Amino acid sequence: MPDPIYLDHAATTPVRAEVLEAMAPFYGPRFGNPSSLHRWGREARVALDEARERLAGCLGARSEEICFTSGGTEADNLAILGVWRARRAEGRNAVVSTPIEHKAVLGAVHQASKEGAQERLCRVTRDGEVDVASFDALMTSDVAVASVMWVNNEIGTVQPVQELAALAKARGALFHTDAVQAFGKVEVDARRTPFDALSISGHKIGAPKGCGAIYVRRGTVLESLFHGGTQERGKRPGTENVAFAVGLSKAAELACEDRGAECARLLALRDRLERGIRDRVPDAVIHGSGARERAPHIVNVSVPGTDTESMLMALDLQGIGCSGGSACQSGSSSPSHVLSAIGVPRDLVGSAIRMSLGAMSDEASVDRVVDVFARLVNKARGLAGVSA
Amino acid sequence: MKRERVLVAMSGGVDSSVAAALLVEQGYDVVGATMKLFCHGDEVPDRPCCSLDSINDARRVCQQLGVPHYVLNLESAFGRDVVDDFVSEYARGRTPIPCVRCNTFTKFRDLVRKADAIDASFVATGHYARVIGGELHRGVDHSKDQSYFLWGIDRDVLSRMILPVGAQTKAETRAVARRLGLTVIAEKVESQDICFVPDGDHTKVIRRKLGAEAPALSRGPFMLSNGTVIGEHDGYARFTIGQRRGVPGGFREPMFVVAIRPEDRAVVIGPRAELLGRGLIAREVNWLSQPCLVGTRLSVQVRHRAAPAAGELIRNDGDEIEIALDEPVAAITPGQSVVLYDGARVLGGGIIESARGARASLPVLAA
Repeated sequence: MPDPIYLDHAATTPVRAEVLEAMAPFYGPRFGNPSSLHRWGREARVALDEARERLAGCLGARSEEICFTSGGTEADNLAILGVWRARRAEGRNAVVSTPIEHKAVLGAVHQASKEGAQERLCRVTRDGEVDVASFDALMTSDVAVASVMWVNNEIGTVQPVQELAALAKARGALFHTDAVQAFGKVEVDARRTPFDALSISGHKIGAPKGCGAIYVRRGTVLESLFHGGTQERGKRPGTENVAFAVGLSKAAELACEDRGAECARLLALRDRLERGIRDRVPDAVIHGSGARERAPHIVNVSVPGTDTESMLMALDLQGIGCSGGSACQSGSSSPSHVLSAIGVPRDLVGSAIRMSLGAMSDEASVDRVVDVFARLVNKARGLAGVSA
Repeated sequence: MKRERVLVAMSGGVDSSVAAALLVEQGYDVVGATMKLFCHGDEVPDRPCCSLDSINDARRVCQQLGVPHYVLNLESAFGRDVVDDFVSEYARGRTPIPCVRCNTFTKFRDLVRKADAIDASFVATGHYARVIGGELHRGVDHSKDQSYFLWGIDRDVLSRMILPVGAQTKAETRAVARRLGLTVIAEKVESQDICFVPDGDHTKVIRRKLGAEAPALSRGPFMLSNGTVIGEHDGYARFTIGQRRGVPGGFREPMFVVAIRPEDRAVVIGPRAELLGRGLIAREVNWLSQPCLVGTRLSVQVRHRAAPAAGELIRNDGDEIEIALDEPVAAITPGQSVVLYDGARVLGGGIIESARGARASLPVLAA
């Protein structure tokens, strides 16, 4: 079999060599606890502070606005639950979000609702974009926090975060954006976009799984999820994972440096992939392709007469790793809530395949994917005709 | 040489794990799959089958064997074909066997379609039964034989079916697991429950689907076959033909459930003599051999683990058949399967519609 092709960079990415190298000393001689007063502690503290500064630099932020977390999910929970819990007492009890958010956001919003919040999800368009008028209509003076993802993780559509953040702020609501898929793909700058909180995840950009960060604009009040010491200015008690903070910062810096060139490269690959699929499978439906802007790394395609589960298995057996909708813990695929929310017909939801490009993608691999995909589609349709 | 691909249904238990392992040893291109058939949510925290643990066990076994493993989400099809039928059969006062329908519809139809999708020529399971020359036979280990549950599968699937553990005993299966170092699963406790009824209380499933007020779960009379009411029960779905547990006492001989009548919610009880049947009518008949002709002598099994009884096919209307039994058989139960054998070979089967009290005679011979 030819070399396997990893086409699931939106799920996770391999740790970059530079990142691993930057982290190595903290698994060796620089093992100290940043809160300790001795030399080992000082060494660790300096590394942590530097990591924070460097990550802040990548986000157009101040150092004290960065809080390291265990990943995107924790950052999303901290932003939504933390802000809502802090603001409900001032008569702001509503949480606004969208039906196409990642489960980390939707889960946090549902939790707030269980604790008494009013949950409001705005409308989205068939192209997978937030309906700005609908968002605006929900943005009344009782909203504590609004959360809209920057780039959708399943279909890659870029949301009008600039506009939405401004609308939210005009009503006194705090605006959070899950930028887990956006960081490194679009320009994320706290000086240019008025978000109050923003989540990023390490493992999507070449850092290890289990690290992430939240940006919290100065002056924003939120309740911590954990209780304990004063680390991370009390926002996130617990001894800091210095190695991960260093790794995340390194990965973020590399992503920012590479962004222009890498986005151009990925965009060319994405176009090649989509063109190839459309040529070989003319009735393939590429979700979100009507959106004003799409991130360069995600292609979500449905082919009538095929099913996600069988296609993913068949692709994997040909050495090609893609994904379906939202994977559940068991590893089985379930129909995508995102595609359902943007009005994709049921049979197309049940045949959706997400291909996501990244560091491991090149032209040869894209060409092979197109070829294998088209052959599997033809075969699946032949079979569907026989067994139906 | 291109190896033939086989899709192995793996529950995470010892039988299907060893089945996969044996096929790897035999040189097949093995692909493991665990079917996710239902989801209890938080209701049942620790269930023996189809749980995350089981899926994880199957995945680990595949990893150890160096073969791919997938989780197939067949929840909606299983819910429709198996669970809904299970509930409606109980509502009709019958005693269904969901495993039969799961084999018929889920394992050997839906799974076969997945096999087609990945170019797998074969499907395999950990059933104790054998396929010999395109025909289904009892497993070598008669105490574990599962051929009774397999009568409903499409006949043309037999040629694509591999049942690797059917040729050995359970003890041998465990020994293979240990020999191959499949330590996780070698000593696993066997589950006897219906997979989606893990705590053995099938009324919970009925209640969830039909509500607590469903007639099948509501009070009704215990009566004798002469119509005398002798007490009250709390739902006929709690009973099956031949059951003694929960039946009123105080009679000279032990009393059994002899009939369930949903129309008046009655559970009819009677002495052992009233349990005996000399024949039966079965529907949804499926043949795994050439359909038998009227007059064929048969080995007839009316319940899992019941001893086969000698009998004869006396009517064959295609979908419905009637069988006469040489000797009376106890507790012939509507909803259960009747499986017809020639020795160890499965000829076919059907769902028992009703028992016949008296031995019907063969019309051809009677004429």
